[in-house]
Amino acid sequence: MPHCQPDELALAALGEPLPAESAAHLDSCECCASEVSSLRRAVDAVAAPAFAAPGSAVPPPPSVWGAIASATGVTAVPDSIAAAPGPDTARPSDEGPGATVVPLRSRRRPLLLAVAAVLAGAVVGAGAVAVVQWTGNDGESITTVALDPLPDAEASGVADVVVRSDGSRILRLELDAPVLDGSYYEIWLIDRSVEGMFPLGVVAPGTQTVELPAGVDLAEYPLVDVSVEPLDGDPTHSGVSVARGEIDA
Amino acid sequence: MTGALATRVPILGSVRSVDSVPGTRSGVDPDDAEVGRRFAAGEEQSLVWAYERWAGQVHGMAVRAFGPGPDAEDVTQQVFVAAWTGRARFRPDDSPLPAWLVGICRHKIADAWARRDKQRREAEAAVSEAKATPAGGTEPAVDTVVADRMLVLDELDRLGQPQRGIIELAFFEDLTHAQISERTGIPLGTVKSHIRRTLERLRTRLEVDGAALPA
Repeated sequence: MPHCQPDELALAALGEPLPAESAAHLDSCECCASEVSSLRRAVDAVAAPAFAAPGSAVPPPPSVWGAIASATGVTAVPDSIAAAPGPDTARPSDEGPGATVVPLRSRRRPLLLAVAAVLAGAVVGAGAVAVVQWTGNDGESITTVALDPLPDAEASGVADVVVRSDGSRILRLELDAPVLDGSYYEIWLIDRSVEGMFPLGVVAPGTQTVELPAGVDLAEYPLVDVSVEPLDGDPTHSGVSVARGEIDA
Repeated sequence: MTGALATRVPILGSVRSVDSVPGTRSGVDPDDAEVGRRFAAGEEQSLVWAYERWAGQVHGMAVRAFGPGPDAEDVTQQVFVAAWTGRARFRPDDSPLPAWLVGICRHKIADAWARRDKQRREAEAAVSEAKATPAGGTEPAVDTVVADRMLVLDELDRLGQPQRGIIELAFFEDLTHAQISERTGIPLGTVKSHIRRTLERLRTRLEVDGAALPA
């Protein structure tokens, strides 16, 4: 009896029934069976009920949108959440007692101690690593902010708000802080109530620039904050701030 | 031929809109394809629309993987944040936005499973070390499926259309090749050969990058 067609063996690997003759051959042919088995490895790998689509929908709780809004800086609000009773989690200024996204009082607070221990390690001076690409010709610094270490932190720095010739704004940061292992620094713009915030990006000890979102009012979000973020995939502020300064806009 | 295929591509990897959430549709909202285009263009309101329409679908998958609670909520949140920050990689002409979100969701679920598996193995290793068990080949096996799963999902991302849509219908919607042909309008023989070539490609990826299987 001839071997099965290659296409049939692939279908068999997916669990499709074959015509009787091919099925009978497959049962008795080690060569064809081995081909099916090797193709099935990928099929088995993703055969998880959770991966099936479309499955039944489960509306997430409103806090999930709040976390997404906080991480992305998107201020529009889904109707289903805006219409829901209770505080609007997506607008920091409206934040009430029931809101679940209050990043600086994080559920990850216990990490503070662990991170503080890491920070007690060697301090790298900013002067030693500063490689300034900035020439000063491409923009004008409108204000300079000193970033002072928060209690128990070994980080400090200077941030300049620079307006480029096309009107866009950047933050030029000189961060003087220990090199981290297993976590990283992130820089934020935060409002005075320390509730609304924009993530500006990942930063490292040394000098770098980050874009400021167009349209963000620096008078409303005057705090420049550097945090330590664990590598946990959680986009919200860890609650572990190490240096902070206020823009005098 | 290619023209006919192109017009049918949006059917691939279809995901139902979530109409069961009350109050999310109003007459002025754009259709799903328009939401996808605006999402790719970075229009903030499109993230809101995408969330209104498909967060239930995404969260449903996360809940099936982890049960209701913070783990599932983390996954759902990560999916939308990753989709938004990675929107430059989204090709609205290539796949519908909900299918793209669901693909990201599979990755996030697989990542979380892999983290759990790693923690479990580390815990087991710590326990067996603490007991000073004599080495007898009892080291907890690396879960091959966990690693394979991530490799397969990654390779799926590299597939073009219609291959990706076809294999996803087979993998995740459990359709036979005949049903896939019917759903997509792609001829039966073409579906079969795409399935075979994709499975061969996935096998190669697993053989090259995956753990060796016990003989």
